Amino acid sequence: MSFAALVRQLKSILGDDAVLHRREDLLLYEYDAGFSRGLPGAVLFPRTTQHVVEIMKLANRAGVSVVPRGAGTGLSGGAISRDGGLILAFSRMNRILEIDLPNQRALVQPGVVNLELTRAVEREGYYFAPDPSSQKACTIGGNVAENSGGPHTLAYGVTVNHVTGLEVVLPDGRIVNLGGKAAHAAGYDLTGFFVGSEGTLGIATAITVKLTRLPESAATLLGIYNTIDDAANTVVAITAAGITPAALEMLDGWTLRVVEEAAHAGYPLDSGAVLLIEVEGLREAVEEEAAAIERVCLQQKAREVRRAKNAAERELLWKGRKNAFASLGRLSPSYYTQDGVVPRTKIPQTLRFVDEVGKKYGLRIGNIFHAGDGNLHPCILFDSRDKQQTARTLAAGRDILEYCISLGGTLTGEHGVGMEKSNFMPMLFSEENMEVMQALRQAFNPRGLLNPMKLLPTTRGCRELRTPLMPRVVA
Amino acid sequence: MSAGLSGVGLASELAAIVGGAHVVDDAAACAHYAIQGVAPELVAAPGSEEEVAALLRLAADHGLAVVPAGGFTRQAIGDPPARADLLLDLARLTATEHYDPGDLTIGVEAGTRLADLQARLAQHQQFLPVDPANAARTTIGGLLATAAQGPLEHGYGGLRDFCIGIRFVTAEGKRGKGGGRVVKNVAGYDLMKLLIGSFGTLGVITSASFKLFHLPPVTRTYVAEFAAPEEAIAFRDRLLRSPLTPMCLEIANPRAAEYLGLAAGPWRLLVRAAGSEAVLGRYRAELGQAVPRELEGEAEARLWQGFSAFEETILAGHHNAMLFAVHVPIAEVAPALAAAERAALDYNFLCAAIGRAGVGSLLVAFLPIAVDPPAAMQYANAASEFRSRLPEEQASAVVLHCPREAKPHFNLWGTSPTDLEAMRAVKSALDPENLLNRGRFLVG
Repeated sequence: MSFAALVRQLKSILGDDAVLHRREDLLLYEYDAGFSRGLPGAVLFPRTTQHVVEIMKLANRAGVSVVPRGAGTGLSGGAISRDGGLILAFSRMNRILEIDLPNQRALVQPGVVNLELTRAVEREGYYFAPDPSSQKACTIGGNVAENSGGPHTLAYGVTVNHVTGLEVVLPDGRIVNLGGKAAHAAGYDLTGFFVGSEGTLGIATAITVKLTRLPESAATLLGIYNTIDDAANTVVAITAAGITPAALEMLDGWTLRVVEEAAHAGYPLDSGAVLLIEVEGLREAVEEEAAAIERVCLQQKAREVRRAKNAAERELLWKGRKNAFASLGRLSPSYYTQDGVVPRTKIPQTLRFVDEVGKKYGLRIGNIFHAGDGNLHPCILFDSRDKQQTARTLAAGRDILEYCISLGGTLTGEHGVGMEKSNFMPMLFSEENMEVMQALRQAFNPRGLLNPMKLLPTTRGCRELRTPLMPRVVA
Repeated sequence: MSAGLSGVGLASELAAIVGGAHVVDDAAACAHYAIQGVAPELVAAPGSEEEVAALLRLAADHGLAVVPAGGFTRQAIGDPPARADLLLDLARLTATEHYDPGDLTIGVEAGTRLADLQARLAQHQQFLPVDPANAARTTIGGLLATAAQGPLEHGYGGLRDFCIGIRFVTAEGKRGKGGGRVVKNVAGYDLMKLLIGSFGTLGVITSASFKLFHLPPVTRTYVAEFAAPEEAIAFRDRLLRSPLTPMCLEIANPRAAEYLGLAAGPWRLLVRAAGSEAVLGRYRAELGQAVPRELEGEAEARLWQGFSAFEETILAGHHNAMLFAVHVPIAEVAPALAAAERAALDYNFLCAAIGRAGVGSLLVAFLPIAVDPPAAMQYANAASEFRSRLPEEQASAVVLHCPREAKPHFNLWGTSPTDLEAMRAVKSALDPENLLNRGRFLVG
């Protein structure tokens, strides 16, 4: 079947308005929020599970690849087509199908925006706990594919901890159910296995998520430090004191100044680093923990600890954090955010290493990250029009990830492997180990038509690492 | 099983891998390792992951059916092995891979005993929030393979929520791992989820890493009593909508009392909380009149040990009891308990039940009435009756224990909301020859 014939058939199934195939319409789908690019052959907008089934059957027959896509806010190229195949965009499958408060569950279509689910249930005192910084735009289907986290992951876990059931369409068009509203199901936990599989096993068309009770009280603290070392040591000390905050974020001095200029969040311009710390729960417990955290901060040479006095102040402090990357974007034509993780106690030395890497390559690297769980987001500023600088940026990113791994850490804490880091996987996994993963992928996706060339290395047997494919760079 | 399997040849090949002292090949000694009456032909106790891989490669080459074993605390679950050519005794794998209390993570080998691990963590006021039966003998590998949980699941989540890394060897001898040592990690497929609760059918777990938690310095347990289950559930619903976030929220039916060391009588909800006096005072205020009794210290610890040991206590008193692990949506807890009582009664059993009322995970025991021991078919019929009364496609009721004679008469695993064909695809991807724990699980 020719591609044109395939498009004609797809139009007859989905309707003319649900198929994009002209080059100018496709350009928008060439990239996500990260580094990678790839032009799809067509973009489809299914409205029902049955549409997805029909598309999968057709694609399977035609031997054309399929890539699911939510809002395109991903940072690792997960929602980009690498071989000119079909993109399934879920913006029209965006209904909340059921809110079941007695069971503390919601059943949603994959295109539902993360924050919209919370908006739909917060009046009843519930919310959807995973809170990626892009939660105003990103979709729950995308969260499931990437196993997304966010600042409050520290206390509440990532997406997989909040998904109990999935309806999945497999590449052959079969619809399967995995799990449901119960917390566990007899047999293998395929729900848990599917979350974070980056669209390589099947396409989730309905998702059962947990709804979490909103805490009655929260305290948001801003610890202000003269040096980044003191802030990093505080992270270790808070853990040692037996406190698990709901969120524990760090911004280095240079970054917070940039953010402050853009967002006016109230971060002091002359500080070396700030910690944004939140505790949530029962009023009495929050008061005690907030007091304990303040003590620890001061013991670790915090210059000052401020506490948000009301919801508006709290929101302002978070606004700085959630818009931090956008603020950095004002300074530089491009930026490249890494997502490495280290054990918490290794944060101080890792930050020093990142600083050295910046000096070595002559690059400015900002640090805004989930300090509480050791998930770094070194943000490298560069000009993508400058080929040399781009190459140095990639090398710096790789140095940082290698260092994270050498300390017992990992490549990605929440952004996913995608196409950006697929060729880095051998840094973490043996050839044999990747064969095991490949065998599992083949069990679901035997012809490799679902999201090809993602998650696992594109070069088989690649002990020798290569730079990931990056034809052009997004500003 | 092939003839001459236990012959000198194979035993010496095993000995070449693990050393002669760690191979058992005489029938009398192998009988000590019997699982549900099936004695393995050979036993090997590997001392490292490399040795596990070498043993599994050897087993695959010879087409041997392999049975992994840890503390032998949950080997009675499922059907007897269809074949047990080689038992892997993983008790020697007890090394710690990493533990820095400041990281709040630990990695240990699969043969590590849960109680030993907890004792070690307690020195740093930390713990792994899992409290299944028989922690003294339970190994980490067995804990994960059987997804054993206890009352702490309410407040801390399940193993799938805090196991952050796993290493295992497939039936073909390939070494796999998922996750790693850090609390946040999305590199590669989440193989922890796949291995947890896989009952040794996808791979032999060799080590795992966990996120740890701080041991709460002070806890208190509030015991609420009710004449009828509806009242208990209404109280639970009020509690779930309140700002309280207890560690445990356990329900017990009247018949369960005697197996928990409690006085006979009412339905109970047990709420365990941690925190300062101010926090505990708030619990008291919110819980209100329904709570006539508070437990702390020794008495509290004993009560929760009783909940963890429920399965053992039931089986000590009723060797021919039938025990289910039931998973339902939260709102189905009361109907599931009613279904259990009804099905038990219909087939001449009494029903004792406890469980995580706020999670929807229950332990249900069908106790035979002493004067009239049930026939094998009665177990099958009672299970079928019970399952038919649970919400379709949303519930699981897995038999954890029943007399061996009854097992051939019904499906111990019941139905699952999860697609069976997809499970089979996973099984054949990792164990194409069906060598691991053959015939014991839902698939394979």
